[in-house]
Amino acid sequence: MLNSIRPKGRVIFGYLVIPVVLFIFTVFVPLVAALFYSFFDWKVGPNKIFNGFDNYVKLINDRTFWASFEHNIFLVLFCIIGQVGIAFILVMIISSKLVKLKGIHRTFGFFPSTISAVCIGFIWTMIYDQRRGILNFILLHMGKINSMKDGPIWLNDPSKVMTLVSIPLVWQYIGYYMVILLSAVASIDTEVLESAELDGASGFDRARYIVLPLIKNTLIVCVTLCVAGNMKAFDNIYVMTAGGPGYSSMVMALYGYKTSFETGYLGYGSCISVAIFVLSLIVIGGSQALLRSAMTDKYDKIEAKLQKKRDKEMREAAKAKYGKGGLR
Amino acid sequence: MKQKIVSVLLSAAMAATLLAGCGSTAATTSEAPAAAEEPAAEEAAPAEEEAPAEEEAAPAAEEEAPAEDASAASSELAYKGEISMMHFSTSEEAEGNGGSDAMRTTIASWDANHPDITLNQEVLANDDYKTQIATYASADELPDVFLLQGMNTISWVNQGLVLDLTDYITGSPYADKYNMDYLVPFTVNDKYYAFPALTGGTCTVVIYDSALWKEAGFDEFPKTWKEVEEAKKYFDEQGIDTLAFGNSGQWQLNSCFVSCLGYQYTGTDWFSNIIAGNGDAAFTDDAFVAALTETQRLFHDTGIFNSDFNAINNEEAREYYIAGDAAAFIGGNWDADYIKANLDEEKYKNTKFAVLPQAEDATKYEKFQNIGLGYGLAINPKVADDPDKLAACIDLVQTLTGPEFADYVGENYALGGFTKADFDLSAFDQYVQDFYNFSYVDNKGCEIYDSYVDSSVWSVLNTEMQEMVNGDKKPADVAADTQKAYEDYLAGK
Repeated sequence: MLNSIRPKGRVIFGYLVIPVVLFIFTVFVPLVAALFYSFFDWKVGPNKIFNGFDNYVKLINDRTFWASFEHNIFLVLFCIIGQVGIAFILVMIISSKLVKLKGIHRTFGFFPSTISAVCIGFIWTMIYDQRRGILNFILLHMGKINSMKDGPIWLNDPSKVMTLVSIPLVWQYIGYYMVILLSAVASIDTEVLESAELDGASGFDRARYIVLPLIKNTLIVCVTLCVAGNMKAFDNIYVMTAGGPGYSSMVMALYGYKTSFETGYLGYGSCISVAIFVLSLIVIGGSQALLRSAMTDKYDKIEAKLQKKRDKEMREAAKAKYGKGGLR
Repeated sequence: MKQKIVSVLLSAAMAATLLAGCGSTAATTSEAPAAAEEPAAEEAAPAEEEAPAEEEAAPAAEEEAPAEDASAASSELAYKGEISMMHFSTSEEAEGNGGSDAMRTTIASWDANHPDITLNQEVLANDDYKTQIATYASADELPDVFLLQGMNTISWVNQGLVLDLTDYITGSPYADKYNMDYLVPFTVNDKYYAFPALTGGTCTVVIYDSALWKEAGFDEFPKTWKEVEEAKKYFDEQGIDTLAFGNSGQWQLNSCFVSCLGYQYTGTDWFSNIIAGNGDAAFTDDAFVAALTETQRLFHDTGIFNSDFNAINNEEAREYYIAGDAAAFIGGNWDADYIKANLDEEKYKNTKFAVLPQAEDATKYEKFQNIGLGYGLAINPKVADDPDKLAACIDLVQTLTGPEFADYVGENYALGGFTKADFDLSAFDQYVQDFYNFSYVDNKGCEIYDSYVDSSVWSVLNTEMQEMVNGDKKPADVAADTQKAYEDYLAGK
């Protein structure tokens, strides 16, 4: 019966091949092309000269690139704490019984993540502006500065600029992670939370010992998305500082772009792209492994060990009872 | 069965749509949104590809072409078909910018006069244009006619991306009216590769409010930086900045300041040697380092500039001048155009122009202002395969840089281009006359650094100078890093 309405194998194949082709053309081909071009000395124009691993040697010694990598790592850490961390706190507040109009909170929280990063960049450039910005306006009215002209020139301070360009990113994506985490929290059985409340668990206890372990997998997904997103951060930094002052807010993607399209070294630019890909994989893989081990409770570990032991005993008992072939 | 056929057709159509994304550039060109607004970019079915004409005729026709052009300019062209063209005179850009306005007007009139030729234009804003044209160059798919940036000339010519136009420039019907100085950025081994396009404008001009400076005790703008520093005391009391400048884009400090101040220290030979790459000049030369040191001192130590110069761009900085928050502004001709359109009547009357003041230790001071044409109209060498098409392209670029263009910018904006124009300057008001005299008559023209050499060199200099004027990097280190980028460029050339 089921077989009669089941489409033929090649029909299924025909439909499935479409996304595969799409994937190959948009991800795989550019990646392989970048890898290929990264072995060439190629300045804008049709002429390319094969130069083996020269670009990679140059990359390893390129201080600006590694400074950009550090900035990306800073951005990742800042945003994991800022985006996912604050989103989690907000989720715990919103899911409390005391908060009314949850839908509105959810909608407005999600709003900034629908605005384009370029607009966000412009909005925050205005906020940080020395003479017309709201930040210095507040400082002025708090009496911290005498006039707007005496206020800090926020985006021109190399020691603060990375933090300042990270804040808009945090602001933009809190709502995004909030929505993901809210749906995970909503799937927790309310009876578990209620019984914990009856047992006298505080709000913090419930968040730490019940909610967090139960949404572990969602949290790992959020952190992965956050790391991946920030390893390729580009647009709002490009708008706000273009990597400046000097190289103080340069990130890898921006450096790759500038190398390719401003200085015209396309071969080296491809090499940077490959490096971004590899470094991102390492950082994402590393963060996942770290998170999994951190989130695995010591009781979980004991439990897993016990389970293994029980399984082994059962297998041995079965072997003893049914002979060499074991339980069939 | 029917269902099966339909499903196969549907998936084929979807796959085809996907693959179309990687299709020919011709399709992309006619679909580009910017091009869509152009009168020329008709959605009509593209004419069949012109088969390359008889090959043996090509070289001969090529040589004869200049002679034919004289008549071609006024008569019918033999070519019927498409010409692809790329430029950055968008409709937004054309508002208030004389060169862009004239470019659009001349293109439209040429297009109307040649109904048999379909001109497919791709018009992008300048920043996007630079990225896009570099991408086409790398894929060897440049349009038939495009704007070549002076600093790319050598490397693109060496890669065979640009047609040698020497004969068409010297043999042009308008050759006697050409200002040959503007050809320098487009010259390689004594051959010309582009018709200098748009208008020649200064990149460094001090725009000041003469009434304010009179109050400060100066009948005209100070001749030395020392006097500017003295004037600062007065303007501080008034609560306004002495000079407004914006460098958040990083190129401004190079194009609108150092490119001019540098000449006061190095004189004219130094940069000629840098362009030639003959080893007689280096960015680490004492004179250039001294220019950087003075730049650092002026921006970092004296306080004559608005303190947020590195966090705002030139567009924001000129607003300080317009709003009366600064007594003067340093920018380029594009800023002068904008300021002109946005001043109140009294300030408009009081606004005057000056060259950069003299630095105390500058030994080669003259009244320098850097002027030139940064872009030239160039032709893809592949066009030469079809002599008729080449003749049409030559006619197009000669028109776009010829008297029709020059008269339009002259009469409407009092600006000059590659072709000299006759117009009545006295018909314009004082502001326009003053700026014309500043740009073309009164001062010593010098080169715009980044019209030459290579973007990889300027990218290093621009980025590091931004740190330098913050006081975070030594001028000598900036010079050394720039020199390294310059040597890398020379090695690759």
